[in-house]
Parts: sequence; structure tokens; C-alpha cells
Amino acid sequence: MRLASRPQAKSPGRRRAMSLRTENLTPSRDAGGVSLAQILVYELRVRDAMTPKLRVAAPGDSLRSVQLLMKEHRISGVPIVRDGALLGLVSIEDIVHALDKGHINDPVEARMTRNLVVVRDHYSLVRAVAEFDRFGFGRFPVLDAGDRLVGILTRGDITSALMLHLERRAEEAVRREAERTAAAAPPDEAARRMVLNAKVRAGDFDGAGKLSQRLRQILRARGVDPNIRRRATIIAYEAETNLIIHSIGGRLTATVGPDRIVIEAVDQGPGIENVELALRDGWSTAGPLARKLGFGAGMGLPNIRRSADHFDVKSGLLEGTRLHAEVFLQSPRAP
Amino acid sequence: MKLAEIISRLDLRLISGASDAEVRGCYISDLLSDVLAHAHPGVLWVTIQTHHNVVSVAAMKEVAGVLITCGRRPDPAVLAEAQEEQIAILATPLSTFEAAGKLWELL
Repeated sequence: MRLASRPQAKSPGRRRAMSLRTENLTPSRDAGGVSLAQILVYELRVRDAMTPKLRVAAPGDSLRSVQLLMKEHRISGVPIVRDGALLGLVSIEDIVHALDKGHINDPVEARMTRNLVVVRDHYSLVRAVAEFDRFGFGRFPVLDAGDRLVGILTRGDITSALMLHLERRAEEAVRREAERTAAAAPPDEAARRMVLNAKVRAGDFDGAGKLSQRLRQILRARGVDPNIRRRATIIAYEAETNLIIHSIGGRLTATVGPDRIVIEAVDQGPGIENVELALRDGWSTAGPLARKLGFGAGMGLPNIRRSADHFDVKSGLLEGTRLHAEVFLQSPRAP
Repeated sequence: MKLAEIISRLDLRLISGASDAEVRGCYISDLLSDVLAHAHPGVLWVTIQTHHNVVSVAAMKEVAGVLITCGRRPDPAVLAEAQEEQIAILATPLSTFEAAGKLWELL
């Protein structure tokens, strides 16, 4: 029995090179280390990959006319069809043989390859790949469930289909990601601008100054004007030490926007009894330990207010203190 | 005046950082917030504080150096921090009053 398109299977080296090993197609990975290509060869059907538009010939056509058809369309195999049913296939090898033996003008019916191995259009691509590996053919005619010829499938078709679908999936993923990013833009942007967001522990005198130091470095790295940087850092430092000295613990954040640096200190309590007094120079409620360390000058809030271009402090004995200070990037006055 | 010259005139000990800064005045205070509020960049800050916040404040205000009086010495950890921040820290057995008097003559 002679089989269709044998020539492409003759060289084992070439065959190995062409063989579509799905595990080598790993442009992206999915859960569990399974590549998307590996999923696709199960998902995609032969009908998704085959070439549906076919050049076919009738059993009564001459081998010569098939030869001309091959030459004209640069194809190497022509299915022989009657009323949509596949009867056989004429390959280049058959034509060469006919030329050699002098029966090129015979009707194809007499010389075509019969007993074809076919694949069905509903086969998964992984099964088609297995058929290619098993038979070593260059192509398979594709039949539908009603035995009608609906296309032809090569290894190249499978590779192209996989590439196409991978590309589509990738484009889809990129599009989805872009949509997600667009939808999430405000919080993402806010997150990018928030350069400092840290907890401050009550009584942590040894940690005092760490956050403002970090802010100073960040602002310096961003090339912020030295005077603006200094004022922002003083605010952060005083807010940070206030949290350490006076609060039961809180959080310090710094945000660098296009036109201002915003520093916020929020604590859970106990709150400032008299904000007006606290804003007065020299008024302090700091304990002896803090004073011994050089804190408690009663200048924290006044310093913050002096250094800020916009300043606001809200405090209540039940809800704690929320301090908000802004330094405008366009106002380079010294502290 | 260069910090190095003040060091030699007052017989100070440089215990961290370098002595090449230009000193543009002096500020004396033991209250950190006061220094933050009023010290100008480039001054020599005279204090008896040795806590590591001295380093933070000095770095923030970009002072030329910190002179610690009365023979007090910061912890090695504070000195390491100062070294990292390249803050010049000087030590003297003089009292703040005596150091201030000598600095007044020089600056």
C-alpha cells in the first residue's frame, strides 16, 4: 500500500526537526507549569487549523491536468473527489512516477493513491500531532463526520494555528491588562505617589527620625529643591516625634504629587486636649524622658505650621489626632 | 572659616565625619525642634545632646558640624550613624558657655 505524501517522511532527521513536540512550544505558562500551547493542542480542533479551501480533481481528470494544477498553485498533493467524497490522492511522487513510466495522460482514477489515512475535522490537534508522528506523512486529508472532504492538514497548519491562537490569547491578555490598569489608574497612581507609609510606635525614641530621614533621601533622589525638601522633612520629623512622644501609636504617610508634598500623621489617641495651646510656641506636655532627650520643646506643631504651605490639625480626645500638612513644590522658601 | 581651623583653634576632637565643611555661623540649643526651627544650614551646632536624633536633625538642617560639649560622648551606634550620614561630630571637655565664648571670638 502506498501512502499519501510519503516524500516528506523519508528523512528521519528532517522528520524529527519538523515534528511538533508540544512541550517545546512554551511561550507562556499557565497554572501548574502547563504551557498555554499544551492547553491549546487539546482545545483546538483539526477544523481550526486545516486549510479548508482545496484544489481537487475528479477521478476522470488526467494526471497531466493534475500536474498542471500542482504547478499553477504550487501544491504537492491533490485530493481526488467525486460528489464531495474522497476517493484518493495524487502526490508529486505519483506524477513523477507517471512521467517516468509514460502514463501521464491516464485518468487519475487508475494511478491515484487509495486507502488513505485521514483525520477527522473534530479531532483535537494533539491527536493530529500523534497521527503525524505515527505515520510520518506531510499532510492528511480532513473528513467530516459524513465522510466528506472538508480540508487538508499539514504540520505547518498546526504550528500556524497554535501561533495564531497564542497571539490572540496574548493580545487578549494585554488588552485585559490594559483595561484593568486603566480601571485601576487612580489607586495605582496614588500608590506610586505615596513615598512613605509607615507605622510609628509610641515611646520609640530610638526610632525617631528614621522616617523623616527616609523621606529626606527620597526627596533628594527625586531632585526636590533643598528648601522644600528641608521643610517637608522638618514636618515629617516633628509629626513623627509627636506620634512617638504623645500618641499611643499611629501612622505617618508622605505623598509626592505633581505640585505638592502631602504629609499626614494619624494616630489613635489620646488626642490633643487643647489644639490652640499646642500650637503655641513653647507649650509642651512631653514627659521628663522626652525632655531629657531634647524633645518636648513645645515647638513641634508650631514648627510644622511654620514649615507648611497648608496645615490642618484635627484632634479629639476620643478619636485621636489627624495632622495634614502640605508643602507646595512651587514655593521654595526656606524653613 | 573651615571646620578644620576651628578644630585646631579650640582643640576639639573630631569623632565622626570630615572637617572640610565651611562654617557659616553657630547655633546653640539643646532642643531639637528649636534647632529645626531656627538653625541655618552650614552652622556649627553646639549642644550637650548625644541622642541619635542629633544626627537626624543635623542631617536635616545640613549643619557644618555638631559640637558636643561638657565632655559628653555619643554611643558608638550614634557615631556610626553620623559617619554614614557624613555628619561631622566634634567633642570637647569645655562647657557650652566656654565653647560659645571661644567661637564668638572666631566667627
